[in-house]
Amino acid sequence: MRYIANTDQQKREMLKEIGVSSFEELIGTIPEEMRFRGELDIPGPLSEAELEEEFADLAKRNADFTSLKPLIGAGAYKHHLPRAIQALLGREEFYTSYTPYQPELSQGTLQAMFELQTYLARLTGMEVVIPSVYDGASATAEAALMSLRLTRKNRIIISSTLHPHYRSVVETYTAPHGTEIIELPYQDGLVAGPRLEKVLTDDTAAVIVQSPNFFGGIEKIAELAGLAHARSALFIQVVAESISLGLLKTPGEMDVDIVAGEAQSLGMELSFGGPYNGYLGARKKYLRQLPGRIAGETVDRDGKRVFVMTSRAREQDIRREKATSCICSNHGLNIIASDIYLSLLGTEGFYQTALLNTRAAHYLEERLVASGGFERVFDYPFFNEFLLRSKKPLPGIRASLLEAGFLPPLALGAFIGDESLENTALFCVTEIFSREKLNRVTQLLST
Amino acid sequence: MNPEDLLFTKDHEWIESGKSPARIGISDYAQKELTDIVYVELPEPGTEVEKGASLVTLESVKATSDVYAPAPGKITAVNSDLEDNPQKINESPYGEGWLVELEISDSAPLDELMDYAAYEKYLKEEEV
Amino acid sequence: MKLIFEKSIKGRVGYSLPADRIEEIRVEDCIPPYARGRKKDLIEASEVDVVRHFTQLSKFNYGIEDGLYPLGSCTMKYNPKVNEHLAGLGNFANAHPFAPADTVQGCLKLMHDLSVLLCRITGMDAYTLAPAAGAHGELAGILIIRKYFEDRGEQRSKMLVPDSAHGTNPASSAMAGFKVVELKSNKSGTVDIGELERLMDEDTAGMMLTNPNTVGLFDGRIDEIAKIVHGKGGLLYYDGANLNATLGILRPGDTGFDIVHLNLHKTFATPHGGGGPGAGPVGVKKFLSPYLPSPVVVFNGENYRLRDPGEKSIGMMRAFWSNFSVLIKAYAWILSLGGKGLREVSEASVINANYVLVKLKDYYRPSYDRFCAHECVLTGRDYKKLGVKTMDIAKRLMDYGYYPPTIYFPHFKPYAEETMMVEPCESEGKEVLDDFIAVMIKISEEARSNPELLRDAPHRTRIRRTDDVLAIRRPILHYDDELRLKDELNYRPEDINF
Repeated sequence: MRYIANTDQQKREMLKEIGVSSFEELIGTIPEEMRFRGELDIPGPLSEAELEEEFADLAKRNADFTSLKPLIGAGAYKHHLPRAIQALLGREEFYTSYTPYQPELSQGTLQAMFELQTYLARLTGMEVVIPSVYDGASATAEAALMSLRLTRKNRIIISSTLHPHYRSVVETYTAPHGTEIIELPYQDGLVAGPRLEKVLTDDTAAVIVQSPNFFGGIEKIAELAGLAHARSALFIQVVAESISLGLLKTPGEMDVDIVAGEAQSLGMELSFGGPYNGYLGARKKYLRQLPGRIAGETVDRDGKRVFVMTSRAREQDIRREKATSCICSNHGLNIIASDIYLSLLGTEGFYQTALLNTRAAHYLEERLVASGGFERVFDYPFFNEFLLRSKKPLPGIRASLLEAGFLPPLALGAFIGDESLENTALFCVTEIFSREKLNRVTQLLST
Repeated sequence: MNPEDLLFTKDHEWIESGKSPARIGISDYAQKELTDIVYVELPEPGTEVEKGASLVTLESVKATSDVYAPAPGKITAVNSDLEDNPQKINESPYGEGWLVELEISDSAPLDELMDYAAYEKYLKEEEV
Repeated sequence: MKLIFEKSIKGRVGYSLPADRIEEIRVEDCIPPYARGRKKDLIEASEVDVVRHFTQLSKFNYGIEDGLYPLGSCTMKYNPKVNEHLAGLGNFANAHPFAPADTVQGCLKLMHDLSVLLCRITGMDAYTLAPAAGAHGELAGILIIRKYFEDRGEQRSKMLVPDSAHGTNPASSAMAGFKVVELKSNKSGTVDIGELERLMDEDTAGMMLTNPNTVGLFDGRIDEIAKIVHGKGGLLYYDGANLNATLGILRPGDTGFDIVHLNLHKTFATPHGGGGPGAGPVGVKKFLSPYLPSPVVVFNGENYRLRDPGEKSIGMMRAFWSNFSVLIKAYAWILSLGGKGLREVSEASVINANYVLVKLKDYYRPSYDRFCAHECVLTGRDYKKLGVKTMDIAKRLMDYGYYPPTIYFPHFKPYAEETMMVEPCESEGKEVLDDFIAVMIKISEEARSNPELLRDAPHRTRIRRTDDVLAIRRPILHYDDELRLKDELNYRPEDINF
């Protein structure tokens, strides 16, 4: 067995030194009748060559995703990833190491956490950032739970323009606490202030709004946050497409209390839905209620500037049932991926990428509408996703796009079960689309 | 405060002897075991507590520890100075590092506590 | 070491975009003034600057390929290279989670087949692959228990958790709305049956258990435990943290457990990534399968697809389906070993742990002096009177090139104090363990002859012991916090650039 070191001879020697005659003697405390007898019904063992063949066959059952360009986002975005990211993540010191409990041997991981905390603080305008929970959806749910603890209230208003998966996860996490969840209907693709005002009460813990929202629309966050604050509710902004932060106002500038973000766009592959990485930003005074690990700066015995995990007493291994969350493993390696991604793009690269996303998306949207094959569903500002109603049935469009090498947009009406959105398609365009490709898409969908 | 005037629990809490309201804190041994205290979670004054209820949570870098009520009663005051200066518990566990003041509703449980000499002896026995 | 922000040089570029930026579209026409923000200040560096920075950073870390990583309870085994390659195959890495089902049959088949294999390994009937980590699996599992009782119209408010349990167990139970009742361990380190009988009642939803438990001991009385818990209508939950001792030896499903979570990043050799990502599949007995989180993969004999388990489901635990690339690696590892190989994994790891225990027990008095499973719990108790703590022993190990064992866990009085938990996985050879044992013995001598050396350790690492109290009292949680305190901090150049 190539992953087991000791030979049978060595194992016998070791058993002898332990003072037993057989392995069975070592596990003598397990009663006979409880033990598994026989051999596990598992295929293999496969040699490395066989393994590669097996997986190549599996991969071939998928479409050719290496060349398919997605016109779909909906919470998972295809951006160009510099090759340096994967090359650096392949360093064993990063990917095989454990959680940095021993700072003397973990400065690489800890400094990367600190650096990403800095980047995300700048992008979100928040005072303190937890750089990793599992994903944007669980970050949103954690933010919701946090708002319940901070306000000691048990009612949450969720915009209907929140990603349906995120909403479902919030429901799952809050179910044991009997939290009342109010869905706020959208108006022309966005949350409408007067509608929010109507459902806001003094016993509301938080208002959760995604922006850019699930339809791609850019919400009037500052106005909505002001309404929430007027009723002493916290305002939680969800950011599912973090590239948008390159162009938009920071949540901090718009008086958001907690940001729940998804960092997949910042250096992660699509990977059929995971692992991605969630982050949480908040005002500093809320630090003690934040779940998850955070790195802080301090000094070592020689006075060197070093980094450690800090404010640890919020965490489950110390606080047990009183912890802010049960989260233990996070998505540490994805922290490093985002740190590398943002470092490579830099100030100008990140800004230009965000700019190109929105320009390319608007370019396609205008052309599709001008082609006569589509009409606008909402009159709203958007970042890199937009909703159009097709005049032709969607299945036909899907087939022609796939054939031409494009992954079709999301059929939104069917996806969220809203008849008023029948035959609508949620498009996503990122910087990976050149003008020629966008023209090609327009041409395909106009004929 | 002079430790001679205090009663001690086996969990290393102290309470002023023969007084009500009585101040409550942790022993010098306890603060050393906990190491540097970095955060104190204090109760609201006015709270009624049962004997054995958690009064205060103390946090060091790598541990948290609850301080339990040695007798039932009502909290009449808390040492809110500790919120900004938790290190005072380490610096002066019997003085400025007191935690809460309890108006004792039933002093019977205090009969089981140790005086300072008995507590010192208890600490020696514990050290094995 | 310098932060990336301190290496920024104005005008440097590390990334390029196409020349055609579709500039005729004006951003002012796209983004209204209420939302349009300023350019965010990140850094300016060339690609090679960035690559060197992260290469240097990596050298401040210690990985499994640097040497023994005997962290108890963490199962730090070798992460095969080929598995990384397989997870990176273009058709997997670039698959969009909302791509039509007929375009992702490879992904769905892998998820389906992995679930089947996990069922066989653990003796369960159905799996969800959604949870992103062990604790996330625990939360899903406890929510399943909650939903099951709700569905039956039973109100149960408590969950039993042994004092030796990982902190995640009580934390997950509390997060799922249960009151945690702690169960004391007995003198032999296992569940106190009398205590269990006393505490288990009809208001208790169940009990969470690890077997072998967190002190590294097999609990041979699982059948009795299961009888007591089931007798009061409760469910028995298996924390798979220590599954590495049990493959092909003991299946939770055969021994009374109703629900289990696994840690693919432990037993199944997927890398820990400096904290994650892992994956925490949850397996259940048939009667609990309607409560699994959404969605599950189904196969109709021809095609695979994702399906919502229905209205009894606890709902979604995360966006999309799973930590898919982690699943690929775990599936590959299982196939590499086969049924016989999996049992050999557990045999080899149990032998390794007992070998270390026997060789070191005269130097570091174990919490329990009996054969252990895949990890052993030693203690530094006898050195405390010399003024040497377990922490000091751990730090001294770094000077000899080892990552220290898990320390101060498990931690419960009076049996588990000053603990050091050593888990030498199957991928470690006897000669590696012999070297480690020799160093541990040497350190025990140093503790007697020169305790100061230990108290001051490590000496040979790139940084020394850190001031964790200062980190809390003077919180600097990102670089802009540091910049605000620049004058007060007053670092010398060598404090930053090393």
